[in-house]
Amino acid sequence: MAKKKGKKNVIQPWCWYCEREFEDEKVLMQHQKAKHFKCGMCPRRLNTAGGLAVHIQQVHKLEPDNLPRIDNALPGRDGYEVEIFGMEGIPAPDVADYKRRKEIEFGLAAGSISQPQPKRQKTDNKPMTEGDLRAALEAHKALMGANKIDRPTSGSPATSGAVTGAPQTYAASPNPGMPGTPAAPTPMPGAPPFWPPPPGIAGAPPFPMVPGMPFPPPPPGMVLPPGMPLPPPGMFGAPLPPGGFPPPFATPPPNFVPPMGQVPFPPPSGSVTPATPASAVPTPSPSVPPVAQVQRQPTLPNPSLAQTLPAFKKETDLKWKDPNFSPEEHRALHPKYFTSSSTDGSAQGEVPRGKKRAHAGDFI
Amino acid sequence: MTDAFVQQPPLDSISQVRYSPTNPHQLLASAWDATVRLYEGTAQKAKFDHRAAVLSCCFGDATNAYSGGLDCTVRHLGLDTEKTTNIGTHDDSISSLVWSKDKSWCHALITGSWDQSIRFWDARAPTAHQLTEKVPERVYFMDNVNNTLVVAMASRLIRIYDERNMSKPQYERESSLKYLTRSLACMADGQGYAMASTEGRIAVEYFDPSPAVQEKKYAFKCHRQTIEGVDHVWPVNALAFHPIHNTFSSAGSDGQVSVWDHKVKKRLKQYPKYESPVSSMAFNCDGTSLAVATSYTWDEGEEGARRSKPPAIALKQLGDEMKVRRL
Repeated sequence: MAKKKGKKNVIQPWCWYCEREFEDEKVLMQHQKAKHFKCGMCPRRLNTAGGLAVHIQQVHKLEPDNLPRIDNALPGRDGYEVEIFGMEGIPAPDVADYKRRKEIEFGLAAGSISQPQPKRQKTDNKPMTEGDLRAALEAHKALMGANKIDRPTSGSPATSGAVTGAPQTYAASPNPGMPGTPAAPTPMPGAPPFWPPPPGIAGAPPFPMVPGMPFPPPPPGMVLPPGMPLPPPGMFGAPLPPGGFPPPFATPPPNFVPPMGQVPFPPPSGSVTPATPASAVPTPSPSVPPVAQVQRQPTLPNPSLAQTLPAFKKETDLKWKDPNFSPEEHRALHPKYFTSSSTDGSAQGEVPRGKKRAHAGDFI
Repeated sequence: MTDAFVQQPPLDSISQVRYSPTNPHQLLASAWDATVRLYEGTAQKAKFDHRAAVLSCCFGDATNAYSGGLDCTVRHLGLDTEKTTNIGTHDDSISSLVWSKDKSWCHALITGSWDQSIRFWDARAPTAHQLTEKVPERVYFMDNVNNTLVVAMASRLIRIYDERNMSKPQYERESSLKYLTRSLACMADGQGYAMASTEGRIAVEYFDPSPAVQEKKYAFKCHRQTIEGVDHVWPVNALAFHPIHNTFSSAGSDGQVSVWDHKVKKRLKQYPKYESPVSSMAFNCDGTSLAVATSYTWDEGEEGARRSKPPAIALKQLGDEMKVRRL
């Protein structure tokens, strides 16, 4: 029972008071009776914290203010205010918190437990909450990353599951003849590899949209779900709106300077550790997966102020080697954290500083 | 003395911790998990969800706080109402928030951003945005004491403003450290500030431009270790001055927290090393506690994030270690 599917990434019943996990809810309730709802003054065991409070007040004549704290509970969870019965009654923020911690423990993407499948299908026609949207976007980003490495296979069951949820965030496709529905994210058998290049750019790399190409910005409802095969070129009038795809299309700001990685610094004489030549400096890590190669690089707003690393007198392992950008600036561009800088409630069509188009987050 | 740790720390790296200006037990923490959390002692009292990672937060008074981050929006956080209100925006991520302590010019929030500007806000006015001051580089850190605002920017630039007259900077300086500025803190006595770089070094500087005072400025090495003949040098991520004794503590990506007396140029104490980098640090208003946020600081990019330990906030009860020892 506990070892479902041989995988451990299933949330088991857990006790709110001590965060212990149990095989099923019966055992959990036995545990709560024995450990948390046991009266300290007689052998009696109660079913809930409220029951225990009433028992102590009425049988042992203690004032309500004088009740002993609940035994064996985590700090902050030893009060009588919350009525817990097995898994019922756990405050929602605590459930969410616990699930997110579990996700981290299992090394899963955010939302893979906290936004479970059945729940998402129920929300079919309702507007998704911000949290759901964020989780869907997260899953979408992860999948796009995975697809770049291995496009034709549509990911593990877990990720393709996430995709089934994602399309629901968007308005229905205007074309009834579209192959595939939100419930069928896998490619048709024998279908050609994804993304046949639009006419005129034959042989272009998987993401042929060059910044500045004259495609009109897509209407918010037209974003293609990531797992769907591309409709035949010309179906939308304009081939494939660039807005439907995440990060890779950073349109450079007007004062664009080439990404740091392509402009080797003049290596300081007698420079840093031999293991880390100066030209490798700006990219956060040398062995990043293909996703990171299309990742944004920060641009210098004022190239004339650019700094270089001064040389060291003796052999030195400097832990942060970029003289022009802070760790936070690099981190902010990582797909996990990257946000459109358009602000709450404003500006769907607006492209601040020319760098934010082409991000599903714009359409939330 | 062992540290107390807050329950329910943020789920991703902590960008900043700030103590309440009046309540020595209330702590605010902004984080990359897009939350700002309010703690009372070690218990979480409130959580404010944001659209994107939060880079900075600050208290206004006991019940009002402010935040800013990657979504470029300045937010007011009602600490008792648990409501967030948008006040206005920057054109790029907001890296730093400070509250102007000037009593005559009340309710002034100052924000600094990577969009190369500093903006002033009055949360109570109908239009909160009051003033924009353009600066030559991305703002990384700001701190203020009395009416003096110190702004540390990329490209090692420093500007010092009089908050009452923002039309031009009081002083424009270049960092005396040769590497990227990584932290900044003003002295409690208002005489100067300390700043630190990514190359394990701290500079102690004074406001007064007279040569006699400027002569006293100096810099020293710290947060480094020689292992088998190679100097390992970590960024100094956090500096904080003790509100009463005016000594300061520094913390780095090496997980070390040290206490310094800058007047006599001595180290007063070094605490046992933390397993994770220290990302931010703050003293409470009466100087009895030091909050130390330990979490990954992206020094090794995405790869390092996978190896990193979960974030934590340690609350150190302070004894006499911050007190100056003079014979």
